This record gives sequence, structure tokens and C-alpha cells, in this order.
Amino acid sequence: MRRIGLSLGSAVLAIGLAAGGGAAQEPQVTRHVLPNGMTVLVRESPAVPAVAVSLQVRAGSRFETETTAGITNFLHRAMLRGTAKRTAEQFATSYEDIGGTLDAGGEVEAAEVRGQTLARNWETLLALIAEAALEPALEQEEIERERRLLLGQIKSRADAPFSFTFDAVLRDLYGPHPYGRHYLGHKESIERLTRDELRAHYRAIYRPERMVLAVSGQVERGRVIKVAERLFGRMARSAPHAEDALAVPEPAGERRIIERRAQQAQILVGYLGPGLSDSLYPAVRILAATLGGGMAGRLFVELRDRRGLAYSTGVVVPPFRTGPAFFVAYLGTAPANAAAAEAGVLHELERARAAPVTAEELARAKAYVRGQLSMDRRTNARQAWYLAFFEVVGAGWDFPERYARAIEAVTAADVARAAERYLTQPTVVVLQPTTQR
Amino acid sequence: MRLLRGLVLALLIGLPVSGCTLARSPQPSPVIQAPVRHVLPNGVRVIIQEFRSSEVVAVQLWVRAGGRDEAALELGLAHYLEHMLFKGTTTRARGFVDRDVEGVGGRMNAGTSLDYTFYHAVLPAPRAVATIEMLADISVNSILDETELELEKKVVLEEMRLSEDSPQRYLARQLYGVVFGSHPYSRPVLGTADIIQKLTRDTLLAFYRRHYVPESFALVVVGPVNPTETLRAAERTFGRLPRSGFHRLPGSAPASLTPKRVDVPRPGAFAYLGMGWLGPRLDHADTPAVDLLVSILGQSRSSRLPLSLRERLALVNSVGSDYTALEAGGVIMVTAQLEPPNLARAEAEILREVQRLREQGVTDAELRRAITRAEAGHAFRSETAEGRARLLGHAETVWRLAEELAYIDRVRSVTSEQVRLAARRYLDPERYGRLAFVPPAR
Repeated sequence: MRRIGLSLGSAVLAIGLAAGGGAAQEPQVTRHVLPNGMTVLVRESPAVPAVAVSLQVRAGSRFETETTAGITNFLHRAMLRGTAKRTAEQFATSYEDIGGTLDAGGEVEAAEVRGQTLARNWETLLALIAEAALEPALEQEEIERERRLLLGQIKSRADAPFSFTFDAVLRDLYGPHPYGRHYLGHKESIERLTRDELRAHYRAIYRPERMVLAVSGQVERGRVIKVAERLFGRMARSAPHAEDALAVPEPAGERRIIERRAQQAQILVGYLGPGLSDSLYPAVRILAATLGGGMAGRLFVELRDRRGLAYSTGVVVPPFRTGPAFFVAYLGTAPANAAAAEAGVLHELERARAAPVTAEELARAKAYVRGQLSMDRRTNARQAWYLAFFEVVGAGWDFPERYARAIEAVTAADVARAAERYLTQPTVVVLQPTTQR
Repeated sequence: MRLLRGLVLALLIGLPVSGCTLARSPQPSPVIQAPVRHVLPNGVRVIIQEFRSSEVVAVQLWVRAGGRDEAALELGLAHYLEHMLFKGTTTRARGFVDRDVEGVGGRMNAGTSLDYTFYHAVLPAPRAVATIEMLADISVNSILDETELELEKKVVLEEMRLSEDSPQRYLARQLYGVVFGSHPYSRPVLGTADIIQKLTRDTLLAFYRRHYVPESFALVVVGPVNPTETLRAAERTFGRLPRSGFHRLPGSAPASLTPKRVDVPRPGAFAYLGMGWLGPRLDHADTPAVDLLVSILGQSRSSRLPLSLRERLALVNSVGSDYTALEAGGVIMVTAQLEPPNLARAEAEILREVQRLREQGVTDAELRRAITRAEAGHAFRSETAEGRARLLGHAETVWRLAEELAYIDRVRSVTSEQVRLAARRYLDPERYGRLAFVPPAR
């Protein structure tokens, strides 16, 4: 990746030329900072007449507490329900009229207002995204409508065996650390949060310094920057925001059985790994791929292919976390197989510490992880998300290219070190289906 | 649209999303060439499209064999075979996907539906030729090893259990049974546990030999490839397979729907409601109007059912409509997640919206919005190489490529009166199949 500083008006412009790929035309990425401190990223990709926009804010469940759990997502869902200029219904028809989609939500590290549309309508879409982000109505009646839907989602999530078990293992792993809570929040907090709290939260997070706008598709960068300046430039500059450090979670490494109605038994074995800026982070991702990446992962080969003990098995790692990221091996199987399957998963995890990866496994895992990264970035919507996300969390929009190079440099010794350091003290949650229906 | 998102999982086993239509790009861009179709002397169809938006190529093998080709006592065969094709050929040891695809950073999976089965890979473009060779190999040279076959039974039985754990998926699948009655489209693509347990290699092999023949194959390659080289690779591999003379029987038309109401007790936090009607089959003149009808009824935030049932009346957590057009018939569905006490009222309100569509039709603004949404949906589905390959392969396998390429133009020419007539023709408020999952009282 090459970075060239150019000057454009009062701000700095950097153009990144992505490496490799002689066969395809590699789009250019431009970075521009508005005078008020908000960052704008533009990726010019002429291939398809479509444009995607991702406006991200550094906020989310990472910054929430037990009493405010889910507030960022709640706020963003409510922001879609009308603006100073339009009712909820008028707002929805405005973007649908131009063949657009527009959505918003809060996650763990960042919250997002996003949309995509036909290329010819991108300016209208961007104006609507700015309207939702800068002039949300947040009216009581609409907040109540959203509250009802969110409570339904929380209840549904608890009703689905896999997500229920997954949430349980994260709680056990993280304890009071905010990564242990789902970004939807919980019933009590969503029932309790008031309109005033949502509005105060809005004012606290919608500040130019914590906002990044990314636009990808058939656009011209100069025009995007000009339009963004017009739409977002009126926000007043704010003080740089500082992030509080969080106490390091210390899982006790316990095993727990949950009994409930389900067709499949679920076995989840969790560990805590490093965040994305840690030097061992790429090695942990390689470790996850050797164990649970695709059809050649050790878990899949041993437990599904050779022994027929599972339908689904693999390793889940979060997309990207700035702080300690989870590493969860999972397996879904018939209740009768649960004991053998659990022993099998634990054995493979133990073996990952004892038996180093072979050169072949390492090469395959690297190809797998790199492949995953490039496969995941093929639409404008995903490209816009990637650009805005890494910029807003402070890693820099070009993090994926640096990460891909770091993946390439991982050695078998690094993987062994990662296994040695992080695959200790498993936290196990077993969902054992009850026979009663 | 005609292939529904989300709910299609019930039909298309093993895949999360599905594509729909393809039209001429409004502004042809230099990185995209029009797809070119070739028919090899033995009947294999090859579609190649140069698409240079990324360095990834999509290579897909589409087979005209699916759930509807099974005898009543061999349900699940097409899907089982799909699994077994990943288990090794006479010259490729098991684990080849891992070596040839994942080992170079690619991905491969497959899906089985009622009308077809397809195998799809995405990988770095220089691997296109090797992947064509691999697909040609598995298409006729898979060994269907006895031991593997027995081991895979556990996996497929688990897949059945898993699909029951997801209420939405299970609802859609069961609704096919309600709507299609005794037609093969009512069958479970996964089969039944009973049949799978007894499955033998001979039965599987007979199905494989009969249906995996050149006349049933379509190879689709989309990406930054050289079309001449790609075609040559197809000729060298698929082109050498001997013609079989096999002609697949066309699917029979489903009998008219017998209204039916089924309540299934199913523990859970919420109830699920599904209502189904028979819709036009894929090559019917009404498909564009029905696509727009379903879109206006319940496929976006501002469409009628979500506005009425979710927003204004607060009767449901979610509600939506879908239309799936299959080769020999179609199904239109409305599904909702809701609190059990709201079941009867939600059904009545859905029927009220249906009645309103039949009587008053749709507004010009609604129609315009639905057409624009269809155009945009098409543009988004065409963003990736495999999205394009999916549209091309699907059309070539169960429809016609030329129809697919003209489809968006047909959608654009639909009038609001045609949408109203489609509502009158297909959405009979008195004749539909209704299925509900109801949590037992505690």
C-alpha cells in the first residue's frame, strides 16, 4: 500500500493504491478530513452502477454499562423513525423511491447508518443518511414502537438454541466486561431506557471527531467530498474523545450445562484472545483457521468427516475487536453424541497446543484467512463498511491490507505461541436438549 | 422476488441466499462483457462472462436434477448425492475441496432445490481452469464410497434436526406441503430420516448415472477470465463426456389448492403464521406482475403489511411476503412472527390487505417504487461474480437465458391494472393454505 499526501483545499488527501490483482481494475481510495474533524473515505469503483454508504460512529456496546445495555442500537433503530422533515413512513418511502435501502444499528465497537442505491441516485441517498444522522426526530411514539420490536428480538434470540448458548458462553468468558453483553442489550435495560437518555446519548456520540463516512461505488471523489462537506460540515467541531481503558476480563474456566428444549445438543468451548492491534493477533486467526476454518479445519475433518459426530462444527472469532477477542469452538450434534463430541472437541483443542501446525496446514490456513478477507469485501456495501469501521476504531482504513501482509508473515512458531498463550482454561457451555417438547 | 431470501432456505438446502433476475446493464461498463452461451456437441451448456471487478472468479456447475426427480420412496436422494460428490473421485482423494479450493483461498459449497442442484466455487481467477476440471471430475467420476456413505448418514440426519431448530425455515418448508398437496414440490428436499437410514449405494449410484449426464449440465464461469481459454477448458473436460440420450420429464402442473388450516404445537417464545397460495410458474407471463404485487404487499419497510400489521396495529414482530417461481409452479407466501393471542386478528388483517389489493389495486407511486426496487435489487445481486453466475445458471437450468436477460424490461412495463389483476387471479382470500406454529399453553 502506498500513501501519497496531496492537498485539496484546506484538508489532507491521501490516495491508497491497493497492491496486486493485475487482472482486475483496483479502485482507488481517498481519505479526506473535513474542517470539523469528520473523516470522509471514498472508493471509486466503476464496475457496477451501484453505490453504498457507511456512516460509522465510535459508539456501541463496548462503551455501555449494565444499565445502559443496548442504548446505542436502540438509538440507531429509533433514528430511522422520522426526522425533523419527515415522518417515519415518509422517510422510508423517500429512500425506496430511489431504489435505495437505508438501515441503522449499533454493534459492539461502532454504530452505523448505512445504505445503498443505484449510482444515479447516490446524492439523494447521502442526503437522507445525513438527515437521519443529524436531524433524527426521536419522538416518543416511535421510540415505543421500536422498544416493542427490540424486546421481541431479544426474546427471539433467547429462543434460538445456538444464539442462546453462544450468549451464555460470552457471559461466562467476559464476566462484567461489556464484550460479554449482546449489543441488543437485555430486557430490563430496553424496557427502562427513556427518551431523554436516548437523546442525551445521541448528543454525546454524534460528534465529528468520532464519525467516519465511507462511500464506495460509481462515484467521483471530488464530488463526494463536496457533497459531504455541504451535508456534514455544519456540525460544530468537538473536543477529541478519549476512551477509558476497561478492566481485563478473567474467565474462571468453568463448565456449565444448560438444559432446554432443542433438537440439537450444542457444545461451545471458549477462550479469550488478543485484540486486533496485538502482534499475536494474526497468529490467533491462523490458529482458528487450522482448527475450524472450512472443510479442512481439524474439527471438521476429525469430528464431522471421520467420525460423523457433528453436522456443524468450527471456530467462531468475532469480525474484529479492539480489545480481548473471543475464540469459541462450537459443535452441534444429536443429543446422544454430545458426550463423545465434547471429548472430541476438547481433545482437538488440547492437541493444538501439543502438536504444532504442519507446513501444509499453515499454508492452507493462510490462504483461507486471506481468502475470507477478500471474499468478504466484494460488494460496495462491504467495502464501505470495512473502510469506515477500521478508520473509526482507530486502526486506519487500510488496516485490512496490513493485516493481509501480517497473515502472510505468520510462522508455525507464532501459531504455537498463540496456542500456548491463549488456549488455556477452556470455558465450556453445553446445551443439553430436554426430551419434553 | 421470484427466489425468496430467508425463506428459500427451506427449499435450497445448504445455502444462505439466492439470486433472481438479470437484465442488460443500463450503462455498459468496460469491465463487464455480455455473457456468451455455448452448447457443446454432447449437450453441455457453457456460459462465460468476463467480469473484471475483482480478481475472483465464480465457477458453477448446475444440474437439472433435484427433489422433484426422486421417486416417492427415494426422497432425499438428490441432496444426499450432492453431499457425496465432495467425498472423492477415482483420481481425487477425499479432501480435494480443501486442497484445490480452500487451500488457494477459495470457497466451495453446493445447494439442492426441488428443480436443480448446483455446485459453486469462488476462487482466485488463475484457478478457473483447474476448477472446471475438478467440477467435470466430480460430475461423473465420484466413487460414492460405502464407508463414506454410511458416515454421511449421521451428518444428513443432523442437518434435518438442525433445520427443525429454526422456526422460519421449518415453517416455509411445511407450508410447501400444505400448498402443493401431493405434488412432488410438497416433498422435503432433505428426505425423511427413515429413507436416509436405509439408503444404499446402488440406489444412489442409479440416480447419479441417470441424472448426472451432459444433457443436464450447465457450466457457468464469471470473472476476469479469458473466454477462449475458458471455453477450451470446458470442451477438453465436460465436452468429452458421452451423450446419454436422457430426457428429463417435464414437471407436472400442481393441482389446484385445497384450502387447509393446520396448527402445529411448537414450544417457543412466539407463534409463527404462514399463509400460502399457488402462484404462476417461472415461464408464465404473469411473473413480473406477481413479483411487483408481492413487493408492494410486504417486502420493504414502506410496503403494506409491515406498515399496517407491524407499525399501525402492533400485531406482529415481523411480517413479509414472498413469491417463489419454480419450473412447474409457484408459491406466494405471507409469513409473520407474533404473540400467540394475535394469530386470528393478524390473519384477518392480512386478508383485509389482500382484499384491498384485489378491489382497489395499487397506487402509481407504489408501482413506481416497486419497479425501482426490482431494478436496484438486480444491480446489487450483480455486484459479485458469483451473484451473476447464480442468475445465469439458474435461468439456464430452469428457464431460458434470453428471458432472464429481458426480465427487468418486462418488470418495467407492468401496469397497476396488471398488478390488481394478478392479485385477483392468485390471492384468493377464501382459498389458501394456512399453517401456524403455536406454543403450547404453559
